[in-house]
Parts: sequence; structure tokens; C-alpha cells
Amino acid sequence: MIGFFIQRLLQAVLVVVAMSMLVFVGVYAIGNPIDVMIDPASSQALRESLIQRYGFDRPLYAQYFIFMGNLLHGDMGESFIYRLPVFGLIFSRLPATLELAISAMLIATLLGIPLGIWAGYKPDAVSSKVIMGVSVLGFSVPTFWVGLLLIMGFAVELRWLPSGGRGPVTELLGMKLSIGSWEGLSHLVLPAFNLALFKLGLLIRLARAGTVEVMSSDYVRFARAQGLSESKVLGLHVLKNISIPIVTVFGLEFGSTLAFAVVTETVFNWPGMGKLIIDSITVLDRPVMVAYLVLVVVLFVLINFVVDLIYGQLDPRIRIKAAQ
Amino acid sequence: MKPIVKQSKHLALAGLIAAMLGGTVSAQTLTMGVRAGPDSMDPHWSTLGGQAEALRHVFDTVVMADDKLQLKPGLAVSWKPVDETTWEFKIRQGVKFHDGAELTAEDVKFSIDRIPVVTGPMSMTIYTKQVRDTRVVDKYTLHVRTKAAAPTLPNDFIRLFVVPKSIGMEARNEQFNSGKAAIGTGPYRFVSWAPKGDMVMKRFDGYWGEKQHWEQVIRKEIPSDPARMAALKSGQVDLVNYVPATDYASLQRDKSVDTFIADTVYILNITPNVKETLPKPVKVDGKEIAANPLRDARVREAMDLAIDRRTLVRIVLEGLGRPANQLMPANFFGGSKNLPERPFDVNKAKQLLTEAGYPKGFEIDFFCTNNRLPGDSAVCEALSQMWARAGLKVNANALNGTVFFPAQQKGEYSLWMSGWGTLTGEASYTYGSLVHTADATMGLGAFNKQGYSNPAVDKLLEEGSRTMDDNKRRALFEKASELSMTDRALIPTVQLQTIWASKAGMMTIPARMDQETLAYEIKPKR
Repeated sequence: MIGFFIQRLLQAVLVVVAMSMLVFVGVYAIGNPIDVMIDPASSQALRESLIQRYGFDRPLYAQYFIFMGNLLHGDMGESFIYRLPVFGLIFSRLPATLELAISAMLIATLLGIPLGIWAGYKPDAVSSKVIMGVSVLGFSVPTFWVGLLLIMGFAVELRWLPSGGRGPVTELLGMKLSIGSWEGLSHLVLPAFNLALFKLGLLIRLARAGTVEVMSSDYVRFARAQGLSESKVLGLHVLKNISIPIVTVFGLEFGSTLAFAVVTETVFNWPGMGKLIIDSITVLDRPVMVAYLVLVVVLFVLINFVVDLIYGQLDPRIRIKAAQ
Repeated sequence: MKPIVKQSKHLALAGLIAAMLGGTVSAQTLTMGVRAGPDSMDPHWSTLGGQAEALRHVFDTVVMADDKLQLKPGLAVSWKPVDETTWEFKIRQGVKFHDGAELTAEDVKFSIDRIPVVTGPMSMTIYTKQVRDTRVVDKYTLHVRTKAAAPTLPNDFIRLFVVPKSIGMEARNEQFNSGKAAIGTGPYRFVSWAPKGDMVMKRFDGYWGEKQHWEQVIRKEIPSDPARMAALKSGQVDLVNYVPATDYASLQRDKSVDTFIADTVYILNITPNVKETLPKPVKVDGKEIAANPLRDARVREAMDLAIDRRTLVRIVLEGLGRPANQLMPANFFGGSKNLPERPFDVNKAKQLLTEAGYPKGFEIDFFCTNNRLPGDSAVCEALSQMWARAGLKVNANALNGTVFFPAQQKGEYSLWMSGWGTLTGEASYTYGSLVHTADATMGLGAFNKQGYSNPAVDKLLEEGSRTMDDNKRRALFEKASELSMTDRALIPTVQLQTIWASKAGMMTIPARMDQETLAYEIKPKR
């Protein structure tokens, strides 16, 4: 178990190093960040003094080693643009993204899996056909467009919900969250639903495919023969057996939702991490880019680790294999 | 009885929904949906437009600018040169900081001294670069000595925000962002702000200027155009700035929305590279040639004649612009009223190209930004089609500013278009940077990447920068504008316009040329 964990940790370190190199080389290839950041009316002398101050005059490998040296001391550096420690900057945006991503995943899971099982259980029913039709829309219509439609419908025409932004936040579990008040929640509904749509479609399809396959298996027939009620058959045998692929996809999707909710965040003006990273890229704010991507790598490794643990819980065969 | 009960039920429901959605918002709150915001609450951190616009609510500047960008008194009631290199500023009496302390000349001196210590990559030192030192003569008099004669110093001080000396030299962005050091003399007190988030301000009742109507002002940063428009239409914000041209037509028909339009200082200019050799040679009949055709004045004139500016405005910009004939609006200090409107004549353009030895034209790459100013990439592509009618093959490349500016700095382009805004409202800023021969020691021509050099223009600009007499200086800059524009050192195309939109009948928004959205200048209609 501990060996497994250490192996994962080493993997993460390797990916972090490779990725930070990529960012350094990438930014270097685009040009000098100073030329993007500087005021157009600045003189040449000012430009040179700034280049020196930020160390852009040093060769790339020297800049990289200075960065890595600081990193080993736990210092990720300061944003060029805000002169604030980058981790503070990113973590100040994390709660907003976290609650958006979790709400979206909850909507997708709580709706998607039951609907998918239903569609697989009664593949010929009209309701199942409708569900499958909706799921195709879910992952084929672009997010930004659905987002705009949602805004036009629910915010501009009906005026039921706000068009964007984050409502008032309250302190919950040490984080500033908007789920603590009705108004905060009303701000969360549209973006969370918009972000959930794609995953909803995906989970419906996965659950349905799994259910169709499992329903014709021997153990379902035996369970029925044993006289178990249909709900027990579905809830106990079917759900457990279709869970492995669903958990895998859930993990991956959760990671990418956290890291790349940027389209939804932009359309709904949600002050999350995705917007921060896009803004940083447009001004070549390298410390923020590196720190953010490092965080994403760590997140993915963590989520995958948790997913692996859940596998063991779900399927005894995996546990036994691991033990051997 | 029945209908009344029903109605009251509806009212109760409406009230409930309003309470749910409206929150604490009252009639005296002005919620502004703006495209860009500040990077810090420290007014000396950055020269970014969104930064100055936001911080003007909290901090005042020594000199202020009216909506046409001409100077008016700010924290200084008057200023005059006492000798060639000394300006005297008389500081306004009875001005209070938000913490109750009184403003004196010491605070202004402190603010000038503070800038080089704390400023970031968008360095505010461009506004203090002419200053050698400052001396407090008495409580309300400040002498600023300059390195050389500096007639434009008051223009620079439009961006000189004043902070109290009591915050100390150690205060940095963090102290300002938390509100501890964000103490100004402006019409609004700082309440809260987070990077890319909302900035909340409360009215400062001890303000020295006009009494403010809005009790609370919220600046919501909404960079995405559709999101900003949706926020207005759904009633989440009371006004938005930078309305996209495509939405303008439909908003004019919309009775629930008022629109306000203003000329801006931004002009899209084409820059022909006139260096001996081009970074990428032009092609004639598919073969590269060594010569740079753009060095020939006839070629530049031909390119100018081939531009149909009226069509650019009417079709490409959907009417939101004006044809431009120089690098800044003619009514700015040093702008020329003698320059004619630029004609459109394709036949003459073809004839000039033939005379210059390019009867079949040539092929050249043309670069511009696609995200910096409204319509920049559309104008860029339209230009390449207009030039095609004159027989030139121009490959338009609209790039993200992140890619465009570094490459332009490195001198990789032969022909490019970019926007320039004369934010100081006078000529030395624009012509000194764009058309004076590049000269790092003099600090002139910093943006002359095209290699243009005309000794006569240089002489006029240098003399102008030394002349303290306003009328003489104005005449020198007018001459320099005329000379460089006839040379086509740059080819101006269109002056952009900007639009605000607000809830109908709620307010009037002043048409500021610098496009700043200032709550204290927005008057309620009722």
C-alpha cells in the first residue's frame, strides 16, 4: 500500500518537472513576457531595467534552475502581474471552482446514473429513447452555446436566475462558499448545470451500456430466480457491477472539470481558477501558469489514487490481486 | 374581494423573488459591469487603463482631465513654471483623506518619491521620468524640478495619484488589497476587492468635490462580451461599457436600454517598415526581391489611396468610427487642422505603383492584433482586400496580442497595423514615440520600429519638447504632425468609437474620450 503510494508520488514529481520545463520553453518561444506586460509608452532604458529585475536577461536554463531552487524551498514565486504569492492567488480561487465542479458532478451523477440504468433496464421504452436523445445533445452541443442559451432563457427572458457572477459567499469549513445562502445558490444553478451537461450525457451512456450487458448475465438471472425484487437486483447486483468503468470516468472527469471549467467560468463570469489561468496566459504571467499546472498534476494524481482505492472496495477480485 | 386576494398573493410572490434575487441592492447603489479591472489597489503599481479607471474612485490625481482629455485642476488648484526647469503646484486646501487626515504638499511629494520604489512591470515611472526632485515650499506649495525643460509635466500628472505619507514606504500590494493602505481623497472609500473580482466602494461624505449621488458603487469585472451584455439585460448590473458593435443595432431598438456613444483616442494605424531591407522580402511574380518597395513614398501613397475609409467605418465597424487623417484627433494639443481628409482613388494608386516600378504589384505579409481593440482584425482583413483591388497581394495575419507585441518589438514585421491611443491628449506623447527617430539616449522613438527618420520632424519634436510657451509649442507640434503625415511615416485609418449601455431612464453617462467609466461623473436621470 505504502509502496503503491510512493510510486504514485514519484510519478507526480516526474510529471511536474516535465511540465514546468514545457511551460518555460513555451513562454520563451513566444517571446519576452516584458513586451506583453510593459506600458507602450515606456522607454528602452526602462524596458531593460525591468528585464533585468525579472531576470529575463539570464539564459533560459539559469532562469529555470533559479525557479526550481526556489521551488525546493517551497517558494513558487510571485505573480508578475499582481505581485502576490502565486499559491495564495490560486487558492483564493479554488473554493469557487471546487464548489462549481462538485455541484456539476453531483448533478451529473445523481441524474445520470439512475437515468442510464433505467434506459438500460427498459431499452425499448419511449422514455429510454428520450433519455438517450438528451444524452447525445449533452455531449455534442458545445458548452459555451448551451451556456448562452441558459442565460438567455433563465436570466434575460424569465429573470428567474442571475446571469452570472458569484453571489454572496459565507464562511463554511474555512472556505468562502456560496452554497450557504439562497442567493448564492441561485448564482450556482446555471453554471453548475451547464458544466454538468457533458458529464451527464457521458454517465447516462456508460450506465446504460453497462446495464444492458449485466442484465443478460447469469447472476442477474439467478438473482431473479432466487426471488429477489427487481429493485434489489438493480440496486445491488447491477449497480455494483457497472460501477468500475463509471468510477474511472468519474475520476477523470472530476479532475478535468476542476482544472478546465474555463469555458463555463468565462460564459458565467465565475471567478474560478480556469479564468485565472487563461488571463495569466494572455499576459504570459509565467509563475501563475507553472504553479497552476503543477496543482493540476497533483490533483489528477490524487484523484487517480483515490479511484484506485475505490476499485478495491467495489471489486474484491482487485483487492485479492493486489494482495498477491 | 377575490381579485384583491389574488393580487396580494402575486405581490407577495414578486416580493419574495425580488428579495431572493435582489439581496441588499438598494436604489442608491450603482452596479457597473466593466470589461477590465485593476491588478492591484495600489494606485502606483500599474499604468493599465482599467487600473487608473478603478482607482480614480478612491484616489485623486494632482491634475485631472475632462472628457476631451484637456487639463483641469485636481488636487492642485493651479500650476505654473517658475523657471525653465521648475514647476510650481498649488495644492488644494481643506482636502481630507478617508482616515480624516488633511492633505498637504508632503503627501504629494511622498507619492512622487514612492512610485519608483513600488511600481510593477507596467511601470508608472513613465509619468515621473521627467522629475529630478521635489521640494515642499510650504504646506500647500510644491516645487517640482525637472531634468530638462518639461512643458508636458502637468499632462503626466493626470496619472499621479496621491496617497497619504502616513502609510509609509513599506506598504505594498498586499496592504493595499486588504484595505489597510487603500486610503485616498477620492469620492469613494475602498470596501473590498479581489483580483478579477468585484470592487466595492462606499460614498465618502467628506469629499472635497461635488456631493455624490450613489451611496455604494460596485465594479463587477466581466471580460466576456456576451456575459456582460447578459448581465445588463437580466438586470444584474445597471450599466456596461465596451458594448460590441454587433449588439449596438439591436440595443438601439430595445426600449429597456439606453445607449451612449463617444469618440475614443484610439486610432488604427498602418505602419510600413522603411528600413533598408525588410525582415521578410516582398515577392514580385512569386520571386523575392532585395529592394524594400515601402521606402518609396509613391508606394506608401498608393497604399494610402487604396484605402476606402468610409467603407471601413460604415461596413466593417458598423458605423462606429470616423475616418482618420492623423495619429490623434485634430482637436488635441498639437493636432493639425490643415490636413485634408484622405482621398480614396484606386486608379491613382495603380498609376503610382506603376510609376514606382511595380506595375503588377507585389506580395507582402501584413500583421495585426485580433483581441486588443474592437474591430482590429476585421479592419485588417478588409484592408488586405482593398489593397488587392490596387493590385497588391497582402497576406493579412490577425494575431493574439500575446504573440503580436513581442514579435513587433523584435522587428519581425514588414507591414503591420496596431492601435494607438493618445491618452495624454497632446502630441509629444504620440509623435515622440512613433515618428521620431529611435534614440534610446534621448528616450524618443521608443515605438518607431519601422525605421522612419526625418531630420526635419526630429528637429521640430525636440524643439517642441523644450518650449515652455504653449502657443509656440502647439505650432511646432502641428508642423511635425503635418510633415510626418504627408511622409506617411504611419498611415492612419479609422478612429474608433465606444459605447456604453444602461438601464433605460436611470442615468446619463458622459462621453469620455479615454473610455473611462467613472461613477462620480454618472448622473442619475430622476
